[in-house]
Amino acid sequence: MVALFSGLDGDKFDRQYGDTVLFRRIVRYFSRYRWQGLVVILAFAVMAVLLAMRPVVIAMAVGELESDAGDQILQLLLGALFVSAFVEYVANWLRRRGLSRIVGRVIAQLRVDAFSSAVRLDMSFYDENNTGKVVSRITSDTQEFGDVLMVSSDIISRLLQIFILVYFMYIRSPLLTVLLLATTPVVVIAALAFRHMARKVTRQASRQLAVLNDTIQESVSGISVAKNFRKEARIYREFADVNRRSYRINVQRGLVIAMIFPALTTLGGFVTALIVYVGAQFVFDAVISASTWFLFVQAVDRFWFPFTNMASFWSQFQQGLAAVERVFALIDAENSVIQRDNRPVERLQGHIVFEDLNFGYSDDETLFRDFNLEIRPGENVALVGHTGAGKSSIARLITRYYEFQSGRILVDGVDIRSFNLQSWRSRLGIVPQSPFLFSGSIMDNLRYSQPDMDDAEIEAVARSIGGGEWLETLPRGLHSEVGERGTRLSMGQRQLVSLLRVLLQNPAIFILDEATASIDPFTELQIQEALDLILSQASSILIAHRLSTVRSADRILVFREGEIIEEGNHEALLEYSGHYAELYNTYFRHQSLGYIEEARERFEASPAGVRAH
Amino acid sequence: MHIIDNISVEFQAGNIRAGNHNSPLRFTLSHLLKHWYVGVLMVFGAVANAALWISIPLNVGLAFDAVREQQNLGAAVNACLLIVIASLLRAVVQFMRNFSAQIYGQRLERDVRDELYASLLGKSMAFHDLRPVGETMARVTNDVIELSLMMHTGVNLLIGSTMFMLMPLVGSPVIHPDLALVPVAFVILQVSIQYFFIRRLYPLARQVRSSFGVMNARLEETLEGLEVIKGAAREDAEIGQVNSLIQTFRDRFIAQGEMEARYLSNLLFPLTLFAGVFHSAILFRAGEITTGDIVAYVMILLFFQFPVFMSLFTLPRIALGHAAAGRILELITARSDMDQNEGGYDAELQGDIRFEDVSFGYQGEQNSLKGLSFSVKPGQTLAIVGQTGAGKTTVTRLINRTWDTRQGRVLVDGQDVRDWSMASLRSQISIIEQDIFLFSRSLADNISFGAEDASREQIENAARMAQAHDFIMSFPDGYETVVGQRGVTLSGGQRQRVALARAFITDPPVIILDDSTSAIDSATEDLIQQAIWTASRGRTTILITHRLSQIRWADHIVVLHQGEIVAQGSHEELLVNSPDYRRIFDRYETHAAPAGASLAEDNGAW
Repeated sequence: MVALFSGLDGDKFDRQYGDTVLFRRIVRYFSRYRWQGLVVILAFAVMAVLLAMRPVVIAMAVGELESDAGDQILQLLLGALFVSAFVEYVANWLRRRGLSRIVGRVIAQLRVDAFSSAVRLDMSFYDENNTGKVVSRITSDTQEFGDVLMVSSDIISRLLQIFILVYFMYIRSPLLTVLLLATTPVVVIAALAFRHMARKVTRQASRQLAVLNDTIQESVSGISVAKNFRKEARIYREFADVNRRSYRINVQRGLVIAMIFPALTTLGGFVTALIVYVGAQFVFDAVISASTWFLFVQAVDRFWFPFTNMASFWSQFQQGLAAVERVFALIDAENSVIQRDNRPVERLQGHIVFEDLNFGYSDDETLFRDFNLEIRPGENVALVGHTGAGKSSIARLITRYYEFQSGRILVDGVDIRSFNLQSWRSRLGIVPQSPFLFSGSIMDNLRYSQPDMDDAEIEAVARSIGGGEWLETLPRGLHSEVGERGTRLSMGQRQLVSLLRVLLQNPAIFILDEATASIDPFTELQIQEALDLILSQASSILIAHRLSTVRSADRILVFREGEIIEEGNHEALLEYSGHYAELYNTYFRHQSLGYIEEARERFEASPAGVRAH
Repeated sequence: MHIIDNISVEFQAGNIRAGNHNSPLRFTLSHLLKHWYVGVLMVFGAVANAALWISIPLNVGLAFDAVREQQNLGAAVNACLLIVIASLLRAVVQFMRNFSAQIYGQRLERDVRDELYASLLGKSMAFHDLRPVGETMARVTNDVIELSLMMHTGVNLLIGSTMFMLMPLVGSPVIHPDLALVPVAFVILQVSIQYFFIRRLYPLARQVRSSFGVMNARLEETLEGLEVIKGAAREDAEIGQVNSLIQTFRDRFIAQGEMEARYLSNLLFPLTLFAGVFHSAILFRAGEITTGDIVAYVMILLFFQFPVFMSLFTLPRIALGHAAAGRILELITARSDMDQNEGGYDAELQGDIRFEDVSFGYQGEQNSLKGLSFSVKPGQTLAIVGQTGAGKTTVTRLINRTWDTRQGRVLVDGQDVRDWSMASLRSQISIIEQDIFLFSRSLADNISFGAEDASREQIENAARMAQAHDFIMSFPDGYETVVGQRGVTLSGGQRQRVALARAFITDPPVIILDDSTSAIDSATEDLIQQAIWTASRGRTTILITHRLSQIRWADHIVVLHQGEIVAQGSHEELLVNSPDYRRIFDRYETHAAPAGASLAEDNGAW
């Protein structure tokens, strides 16, 4: 199901590979294992021959029993049956073992390649592509490809068996062989028809079930609300109703699924009867021998199984190819950010200059046109403006997450396109809007960018904020586990950790995309302290959402539609009554002390204060 | 009315027939026994199917002998007719088996889910408070489905394939008593091989699954934190770590493949065929059996393929079902004591709340609240402030008896909350939680959740007071807008206001508001503040809030630090007494000092 959906909506970086290109590329992954592969193929062939020959040998043995000739041939046939059991086992062992080794390694290699590529891709790639989908390419799509390889090998081996069997049957009785082959389409069509029906019913049921499951989930989430209002009986009634509907739909689907095998069973019985009857006629007319007749009776069941599977196999096979194609597309996805040189970055002053820069997220829209900006070493600038005005874009260009079309960005006089990217970024302290923590302890997270730093140093910095008070509320202080993505910490604590991580990094340039989530006033105070400390040490670009941050900047840059239309400090800009004053009224007014002080009068006077009856 | 396992419960559904709670197996069986006739049909279908099937090779054998020895085609025709009839009958009984198994599985799913859900509703709020919703959800949805799968695929195919293993034991002696020898030997060997193989394969398969999970989770985390990784230039280290997880999965996958490659039944089956042919050849030579008998016998042996192939698939399925039953049972039997005190104090609540030296700790843990004493008079507003983890939410949970205190007491209108009738107490205290849950139904229904018979006028009135009316009317469907449908998503502030309206409609004397939303723009902030202000008018209000304007104007403020009250009083008092509190407001003063004066002035040196 997952594969079905991921197959439906492609991503921008998806590409269509020609069949030969795709095939060659797949082969390249296997070429390292060619000797092992050869063993597997040989084992396949041996198995197919043995399995195809088994009914033939048994039929021959029965024939020999009936004839009054000596027992020599019979003994030989029985001996062959005995030995072939062991040979078959060994061949199967070699095949299965070799196959899982090869497939396991190829899949692992594909995953390694895909993951390395995913890590090296620009952040702009992840702005467009959902992380979950990328992950599913690396884990699920490769898995699907591996499954298809295993299934294909099975199907191929069965088909090979049938071809050999048909050959022997044809030699003994062309007529009966043709008859048996003629029944095959009937069975295959029946199997397909049922599959179609089952799929339709299942799809309908799945759709309804998805809705019902949502309701069930909702009634579980709603338990606490129901308890709050003491409405348990009501929510139970609703749940019970949904649960019963879910049952009815499931039974309807079960009805169709329960019919598939019985239908095939009946058809199988008919064909067996047909072969028995026609065979009897032939034996009666002495067209064939009894042992040939027996061979055909044995072959009936063996015949269909692969054919009924073929139909579903084909679609699975194509899905597998599509899956590996998606993996290759990820491996081949290109970065748009290209560095011209590979200069390491040593110490920086933090002097940033945008020179006649032109930038747009797509070719037909330009955000910055001949944009110029200078940020002096150690200066702290706050960027304010409505969403889409270009604040975040400035940060994205400096971090080289996005490529600009023309112009230059100079840092300490050097074009940032000539830096080694990793070296450059390690000089930047970036705090994204939603702070991301890795599972592990707070210590692990703080140390992340400075693996060599010892515990004492880290602790000293952590305790320098608010006297380390924030650590006291955590069960194990700095060694507390943060949980997956930091979920065991409050939003404020996550932000604090994220800021401290940057503080330890001692960056030359600090870039903060401020979070908008509300934080308790005590933690907020500590965040402010950490922020002040960083601001005193580095050139800073602050995408500000808090009044206090805006005020702590040396210079406020007011953005509108990719242009800086006003700049200055808070008081001056407010007095100017321009765009900044408007932004202040929209975003910052409620964070001011005046607002807090006047809150009571403002709302006391409002008319809505009558209690309901 | 019966009490499940003597656990006192907060809610009892009328017609639930609970299962046996002694063990997962008994639990499943007790639910299955309720529909025993479906099980009888299933087993009957399986037996009849296998019995009819065995008639086919026997008839083929008869046809052979008829043609060979009596030179009589009529007997062959009869045999063919019997095969056709047997096949048709088989279809009927096979369907009976499959469909019964489906019904059986689905009923099990329905009944267990019903019992589980009812038992969840019966558990205390404390129980739900501690348990992540996602985890409970997994039990109610996935684990219950696992039980159903266990029945209609696992058990169904196991019974089916077992019959196919047993029928040759009946069919072979019909041909000749001695011919039972090989099938008997096969069954004994197959069952032993199976037993040992599954026991070794199962842990391997689990390792494969778990290492896949670990790899997947790590990959996800790495890519989600990529910005941090790139910022710290740690790409290579991450690649190295993930690669080693990929290799671990690979090695386990290969180990499982190698294990499966050694499956001894792959040897047992061809050897059984050999032995069968050999044995029948001896009997034939001795004149004990005919050619037709050999034909029938070999065909019977060929069907051993089915159980050999199926068992690898059915047994793990059943093991998964059993594990799921265990997890479900664990949830059902989890104790959650909190007595209802049905005959307790029951009166109209005035809203006087007093904490007297209250200490509290979660079960088995140290006290998280230590010696709290404070009081709120009817109609007053209390703000509780402190860092995350200071115990703010826990304080509010003691008032409506989600939890009981460890020491000290909580008094509401002078009565210990433990003396109140729980129903009376809770129905008069409205809690608006931090994570607001709205049902996927119309906004009107959401607002009137606590008062089903509320008129439209009352609903709109409540929404107006909560400042929700205007934004609700801005939706095309107004109050009939269904939450979560057609892209209707509400912002945190909007959800909060709907929840306030939901509380207003029952007009509770006490409102507890766990407020953590934040408005980006001042206009929305105005509305939220307005709504909270309205809520607090004329009733006791307890606020856990980050909004300084709410804290600033509360009648009483309690400053919590690590479960202790470090300061309390009015704003003015705290500014004097509490350095912590003062620092919050100090911040505004320091940064308010003007630093530059004009647009042109250079602030670089600041």
